[in-house]
Amino acid sequence: MLTQTWAMLVDAYRELCAKRLFWISLILSGVVVAAFAMVGINEQGFEILWFDLPMSTFNTKVLPRATFYEWIFSAFGIGLWLTWAAAILALVTTAGFFPNLIEAGSIEVHLSKPISRTRIFLTRYFTGLLFVTLQVAVFSVASFFVLGLRGGVWQPTVLLAIPIVVLFFSYLYSVCVLLGVWTRSTIAALLLTILFWFVVFIMNTADAAFISVRESAEAKVARTERSLARLESGARDLLIEQKRAAGEDVPESWEPADEELIKSMPLIETRRAELAEDRKSVETWTKVTRSIFIAKTVLPKTGETIELLNRYLFDQTERDTLLRVFTGQATAEDIDEDAQRELEANRGVQEAYNSRSLGWIIGTSLAFEAVMMALAGFIFVRRDY
Amino acid sequence: MGSEGDWALDLSHVAKTYRGGVQALRGIEMRVHRGEVFGLLGPNGAGKSTLIKILMTVIRPTKCVGTMLGERVGNKAALAHVGYLPEQHQFPSYLTARQLMHYVGAMSKTPRTERIRRTEQLLELVDMTDWADKKLGSFSKGMRQRVGLAQALINDPDLVLLDEPTDGVDPVGRRDIRNIVSRLKSQGKTIFLNSHLLSELEMVCDRVAILLRGQVRLQGTMGELIDRRAGYRIRLDPGDDVDVARACVRAVVPGEVALEDSTLCLATADARAVQPAIDALRRQGFTIAHCAVHKPTLEDLFLEAVVDPETGEPMHVGAEAKGRRG
Repeated sequence: MLTQTWAMLVDAYRELCAKRLFWISLILSGVVVAAFAMVGINEQGFEILWFDLPMSTFNTKVLPRATFYEWIFSAFGIGLWLTWAAAILALVTTAGFFPNLIEAGSIEVHLSKPISRTRIFLTRYFTGLLFVTLQVAVFSVASFFVLGLRGGVWQPTVLLAIPIVVLFFSYLYSVCVLLGVWTRSTIAALLLTILFWFVVFIMNTADAAFISVRESAEAKVARTERSLARLESGARDLLIEQKRAAGEDVPESWEPADEELIKSMPLIETRRAELAEDRKSVETWTKVTRSIFIAKTVLPKTGETIELLNRYLFDQTERDTLLRVFTGQATAEDIDEDAQRELEANRGVQEAYNSRSLGWIIGTSLAFEAVMMALAGFIFVRRDY
Repeated sequence: MGSEGDWALDLSHVAKTYRGGVQALRGIEMRVHRGEVFGLLGPNGAGKSTLIKILMTVIRPTKCVGTMLGERVGNKAALAHVGYLPEQHQFPSYLTARQLMHYVGAMSKTPRTERIRRTEQLLELVDMTDWADKKLGSFSKGMRQRVGLAQALINDPDLVLLDEPTDGVDPVGRRDIRNIVSRLKSQGKTIFLNSHLLSELEMVCDRVAILLRGQVRLQGTMGELIDRRAGYRIRLDPGDDVDVARACVRAVVPGEVALEDSTLCLATADARAVQPAIDALRRQGFTIAHCAVHKPTLEDLFLEAVVDPETGEPMHVGAEAKGRRG
């Protein structure tokens, strides 16, 4: 049994090695790591090799060196390279794995052997993931050393990128496998998978954008409530003062009627109308975000899965620091109200994302993957070739 | 009839109807003895490849009662003792001949030491030793076919199924493949051959079956099939009246007397039975230019088998939609 599995693994490795894209991806990974090692941060600002780029808002006074390197790794290494460019290259490389296997003249060699179709299917699937595992492992290990040698921080959490990115890729790969087995066409499998990925990306973007809008709306409600409370309190004090001036005995606990309040300060009515509108807006956005959340539950959580790395890589203080740096508030003496609002909205989005459980992110994504694999497996096992 | 263990293949009621109602096989009954070379013939679409693919578990039969090497058809364990060369195979171009042999051997559960030993032997057998470490992508069709034959033997199989083994192979290669088949037979292996090259089959097969429209039209040993159809051919002088000669022969020889130009075709190959016909022809003054026993070739058998008895036209299309008359 192991002989056959090992033979299929070795064959997949040889197939990968025979593909130019495999080597191109590996070389590009090396280039990205090299670029990663070239950049740095010091007390004056940004540095590229031995050139300094002085920046008052971006230096070790506002952002610790270790956090900077972790951020570079997370934002560019993982966020851009591995989860976009390298993932597309990986899909291009592996999209043909199943269509090539089930091609007439090739599948006969496999099916005519004493090995079940289910085992052929699963072994082939896992060998496909071998590609990404190799790529991510090389990149993450190299980044781990760059982080240690350049940033002075030996952070084993960086290596969590290996299972996280492989997991992320496996969601897309399961779709690619289903389409490959179904259509028998590499091009169709690849294009439709990228289209599916695009749909998931749009959902993620809409999710983040709408959560941000909801958080802003909630913050606005809170501000309007505070402003209204201040207005009402002011109006009440004014009325007490006026009554006392008129010789009336007004106790401290006296509460004016609503009409009296509005009459003394008509702005209260305007604020109340604004508050009602804002609350309605929050309600609407809560419904929208909830609908997207439900829709996302049945889809793979590509964005959230990658975000998990940040969850483990940065603590709350580092997250706040990064948030302040990238909203341009790190060095300001007094953060203005608009900037504060932006900061709060961003923090709200981050908190909303962080509040999503591991079970929901990984569990439902794996359930999606299992459904894709079950369908693909069913077609593969039942089909006549 | 031997016991179940005496048959390499014992098939009855093998049927396959594809989606859309196309009936590729309509109750195949076929037996292949252990140690013989069995040829499968038939026009395009007769169901030959479908039958082989069912045996190799590549296609799932609609119905199949039968055994292969004593095990139920479809039993994966039995495939460890079967070698297979698919028609128009696509072996991975990134593998070398040696790597392919090891891969197929491993998939057949052949132990590593055995694989190493047999790889050398088999590559030598197919005359590909010098190319053992070259990528298959650089091979010609004939070379790939040679390696394909070698990979089918890596697990030292008891039964070897070869689907168009001489496809794309030059005459020298075809001779080599024939010699290999004979050698395998002498080692007691059972060979199941599917080929369009009838002359090739004729040279190596012990028994053949002709498939037509998903059914076995004809089956038997080469001797049985050919001797049964052997008969005297008497060629007359071109100026003779062949119709009168035919009537003369009919009067003295039992059986049908066919006419092919100026040749009378008798249904018997018995020399004694044909003497009265010669006497009668000579008495009537006919000139006998040539007289000999004619044995049909496999091609003659094939053409005879694929002719529609009602129309006399060859039936080219094998598979047909369910419900249509065969």
